[in-house]
Amino acid sequence: MRIGDSEDEGSFRAELRSWLSGQIPSGAPHSWSSEQLRSWSRSLYQAGYAGLSWPVEHGGRGLPPAYQAIYAEESARAGAPDHVNVIGLNMVGPTIIRYGSQAQQATFLPRILSGETIFCQGFSEPDAGSDLASVRTRAQAHPDGYLVDGEKVWSSYAHLADYCLLLVRTDPEAVKHAGLTCLLLDMRAPGVQVRPLRELSGDTDFNQIILTGVRVSSDTVLGPVGEGWRVAMTTLAHERGTFGITLTSRLSAELDRLIETVLALGADSDPLVRKEIAELHLHLQGLRFTGYRALAELRRTGEPGAESSILKLGWSVANQRLTALALRVLGPDAAFDGPDAFWGGYWQRQHLRSRTNSIEGGTSEILRGIVAERVLGLPRTR
Amino acid sequence: MDFTLSQDQRELKAAARHYLSQSYPPARIAELSDGAGWDSAAWPELVRQGWLDPELGAVELALLAEEGGRVLHPVPWWVTVALALPVYQAAGLDLPGPATLADGSTGCRALRQPTGWVLDGLLPSVPQAGLATEILVAARTAAGIALFAVDPDAPGLTLTERAGLDPLRIVAGLRLAGAPARLLLDAPAAEPVLASVERRAGLLLACEAVGVADRVLELAVDYAKIRTQFGRPIGSYQAVAHQLADSYAAVELARSLAYRAACVLDDEPGDAAEAIACAVQAGTRAAVSGCQVAMQVTGGIGVTWEYPLHRWYRRALFLQARAAAGPDPLAVIAGELLQAARPAPEPIEGALASA
Repeated sequence: MRIGDSEDEGSFRAELRSWLSGQIPSGAPHSWSSEQLRSWSRSLYQAGYAGLSWPVEHGGRGLPPAYQAIYAEESARAGAPDHVNVIGLNMVGPTIIRYGSQAQQATFLPRILSGETIFCQGFSEPDAGSDLASVRTRAQAHPDGYLVDGEKVWSSYAHLADYCLLLVRTDPEAVKHAGLTCLLLDMRAPGVQVRPLRELSGDTDFNQIILTGVRVSSDTVLGPVGEGWRVAMTTLAHERGTFGITLTSRLSAELDRLIETVLALGADSDPLVRKEIAELHLHLQGLRFTGYRALAELRRTGEPGAESSILKLGWSVANQRLTALALRVLGPDAAFDGPDAFWGGYWQRQHLRSRTNSIEGGTSEILRGIVAERVLGLPRTR
Repeated sequence: MDFTLSQDQRELKAAARHYLSQSYPPARIAELSDGAGWDSAAWPELVRQGWLDPELGAVELALLAEEGGRVLHPVPWWVTVALALPVYQAAGLDLPGPATLADGSTGCRALRQPTGWVLDGLLPSVPQAGLATEILVAARTAAGIALFAVDPDAPGLTLTERAGLDPLRIVAGLRLAGAPARLLLDAPAAEPVLASVERRAGLLLACEAVGVADRVLELAVDYAKIRTQFGRPIGSYQAVAHQLADSYAAVELARSLAYRAACVLDDEPGDAAEAIACAVQAGTRAAVSGCQVAMQVTGGIGVTWEYPLHRWYRRALFLQARAAAGPDPLAVIAGELLQAARPAPEPIEGALASA
């Protein structure tokens, strides 16, 4: 049992840290425009930091998941944004590697790596949220392909995306999980309309995708027709190994920012603030080292350990608590969120955004159900 | 980064679990709890199995403590390895048998007399002193704190076992009135050894708490699978299942923190304060709340004397109380974080306004 990097991991981390420090300005947190995000992704590709754990034959560096985790930690520490093609790199790409035809691999993989083709994901629908298998977006067979009609929601990056991994129903007669298929949809095809989804924070992190009579050819099907559920689940599973570490790394950077705020406002002598900061740190370290355990288990057995199932659940609770404390520390000034507010209203925005954390990527109720059923072996709750 | 048990460590854990589960089913624990208070015959076997080897690293000790917590291992192992063994080791002595340590750095005075050292003082809570073949005492001398060994039958020593919440962890009061003592470590050598005892005690307490939390979760889950109401196993109700899922999360976070603290203690013992504080706080909390959830899930049966759950709850409460005798974990953590933090950069005006 070892904490700390191996020699190779350590030199990778040191190189990455020094590269990042030359790229990311320090100072108070700020947000990034779409153009800045795209340019950031190009820099990552040129520096060799895209596709760290992708197989070498598909253009990746073939590194173990620990390196992806180091990337997550260092980029969060430096305040770097998400790769604009995070869905392509971490979810769709590995799924194409597993299920894609040779032609699909040749077309998409190099472009995902370079950031030239940005992917989004079209899974959730207005009536298929937690109950994802009840998707209704219909793909009707027609000569040479399908005609797609339906509506997708909560799709990150759809407003920037070139392609979408779309989960559709190809067989309306089949029950639920059967009869689903995955398509690689060109977002510029006629009949595809993207509308921003404005959240309660005022941000538009997500989008709605309206599909009206969209014609797609049959070579856009990813994996076998009717096996879309399995393909979609592979997509979600690819993130399990390192996603938890991505989350805790960001939480750690956020806690550092909270501590800066507390010191800047002189709240560090308040015993309740001290206690809550200690509680948050404790929770964060618990998540962080649980993430490391899951990662080690992934290396040892090829599967992340069962304990990885609690990371997203625990992260959402901690992030919500952290941003709530930030607003309490701001005191009466927490009511302002304009340019004249502390850090330009950073904490107000983060707090409102954090309410989404226990919904997005699996609600806390669904996640507790997964732990109960698959980890503890309790009987199904539904 | 390879934060997982080695093959040897896995085997050690599995062997400990096998031995303990064979030796101490809940009925046996209940019998010892209500009777002798410990399994006096087990000590030679523990020595034989290597549970008291001075070479065991912090991770190995952590695993044994965790497994001990699962069954409520009814021997004075933790006082011996956490409190006493580091002192004997530092003094270059072999362990004489079960032993404990009384912290008399404020309440006990040592005087050198022509016949040797004698101790005077009142030590109100010495864990498991009644089971010790020798009691170690940290006492004040003219030169500073020193460590002594006292024979429990020594003249001038009165030992009174106090009624306690956990009958398998009886704490005794000691009155020393000119009791003869043997000097093991003089000032200033004693001070760093006491600091290392405090760290080790914190770690093993946290690990034992993880074992308690783990076992009561298992107990509650097993019950929720077989107890049927309204025609369904109660574990199929979300109100029950989700409480157990939260207990699971608390156990896993606490376990990660306990193993991390063990690694830090092995690698950089001087820098372990924050890691141990995290482990102690998370572990004792997971144990106490885990027992409470288990009592709720096991319902009427769970709150009877007959059902063994209260034995673990008593241990959880004992560990929580014991932790309160050490430094406040949250104060330790807050102190490190707010001291270590860099001064805040100037906020960039309007930084987010255009986003």
